[in-house]
Amino acid sequence: MDRHFIREIEELKKTLLQMVSAVDEQVEMAYNALLTGDLTNSDAIKKMDIVVDQYDNQIKEQAKKILALYQPVASDLRFVFTAIMINNQLERCGDLSVNIMQRIKKTQEARDIILESDLLEMIKLARFMVKDAIDAFIHEDTQLAKTVMDRDSYVDALNKAAFKFLVGKMEQNPLVVKACAHLLILAKHIERLADHATNIAEDVIFLISDEIVTHRFNEEASPAEDAGELPS
Amino acid sequence: MENTIKISVNDLNLFYGKKQALIDINIDIFEKNATALIGPSGCGKSTFLRSINRMNELISNVTTTGEVLIGGKNIFDAGVDVVTLRKKVGMIFQKSNPFPKSIFDNIAFGPRVNGIKDKKTLDEIVERTLRQAALWDEVKDDLQKSGLSLSGGQQQRLCIARALAVDPEILLMDEPASALDPISTAKIEELIFELKKNYSIVIVTHNMQQAARVSDFTAFFYMGELIEYNETKRIFTNPLKKQTEDYVTGRFG
Repeated sequence: MDRHFIREIEELKKTLLQMVSAVDEQVEMAYNALLTGDLTNSDAIKKMDIVVDQYDNQIKEQAKKILALYQPVASDLRFVFTAIMINNQLERCGDLSVNIMQRIKKTQEARDIILESDLLEMIKLARFMVKDAIDAFIHEDTQLAKTVMDRDSYVDALNKAAFKFLVGKMEQNPLVVKACAHLLILAKHIERLADHATNIAEDVIFLISDEIVTHRFNEEASPAEDAGELPS
Repeated sequence: MENTIKISVNDLNLFYGKKQALIDINIDIFEKNATALIGPSGCGKSTFLRSINRMNELISNVTTTGEVLIGGKNIFDAGVDVVTLRKKVGMIFQKSNPFPKSIFDNIAFGPRVNGIKDKKTLDEIVERTLRQAALWDEVKDDLQKSGLSLSGGQQQRLCIARALAVDPEILLMDEPASALDPISTAKIEELIFELKKNYSIVIVTHNMQQAARVSDFTAFFYMGELIEYNETKRIFTNPLKKQTEDYVTGRFG
């Protein structure tokens, strides 16, 4: 095969790994900020987002070039396809980390509510889902990818519990309504973060086995259930 | 829809002198599908293709064992008439080879050999096959023009029309577009798409993208052996064998 092609694939891998590393750092910053209330990294996370966006565009350009010039097949095709999909998920993880940091900033005075809620448990789960999804991608580990997918329902359950808890707080005390409204959105961001980790895990399974596992519950569940039930 | 087997190859071995070119080939080729044969030069794919209508017998010192069943009959059986077989199993070559005759006579040649003399019937055959080969609109106004005066792509379609004129069931194509420009290649590929509705097509190609585009099934040959045979989409997205993966991704050798 064309050595150029192998080089282009290696370059794409390199950029994707740089993107992975940058996004992982953003998620770590958001995770630590919620755990500790420390906002030291609130500027750094935004600066990192500019870098991540650049990687995002670079990956799209590299993948487009490979598809246009080399028409890859088999494992090369699956890799380029997966790179495009994972890139999209990673970029969203980066944005959500910034969003989480912003909500933490706005809820500094509601630290006691955060500690009392399931939000810390949620972010722990979501953070390690992202980490494991990334590890599954790097090591092409199907088993690890599957464990990430299995954990998504726990995060959804915690999101529902957090919703109930925060609504209860608002009903009890009108003074915390604003903070709790921010925390409801924060919970949603964490829940989405876990969703993106799940999507990455699904993409990893496609990369390794050519199996499309996305929407695998569709035949048994209604579309609404597949998309995650709303907290009530 | 369930696929019907058109050609069943069992334990096919072929030797050029002492050199074995095909080793224990077993494959079922399906009716009204396009099957691509891929593999590096010298892997046996063209030899295999030529076995299907006994073209290898034109080469001296060839020995064949095993069987190729078409319609349940072994084509190597003593009673088989090779001319009848080749009528049923048409062939298109890499380099178009029209006769130095008019477009009309190129196509009418086969039917005339088979005893059709009626002008009206011949007219019908010429028009039908030229339409099937997507050449009619380009040549209908001057069917007496020499076949050799057509462009390379048109000549190849003329050869396809000529092959269709004797009502074959199977079309063997040996790199039919490798000498053509991209537009002519696209026309041939489009044609294969149309033809496979009515004919069983077996195509040898070095162009991997072409195999992926036109065929329903792909067989990968290497050093005289059939390494993998599967649905084309499987071969080009997730082949079972490492050798196939290495070949289609270009990491061979």
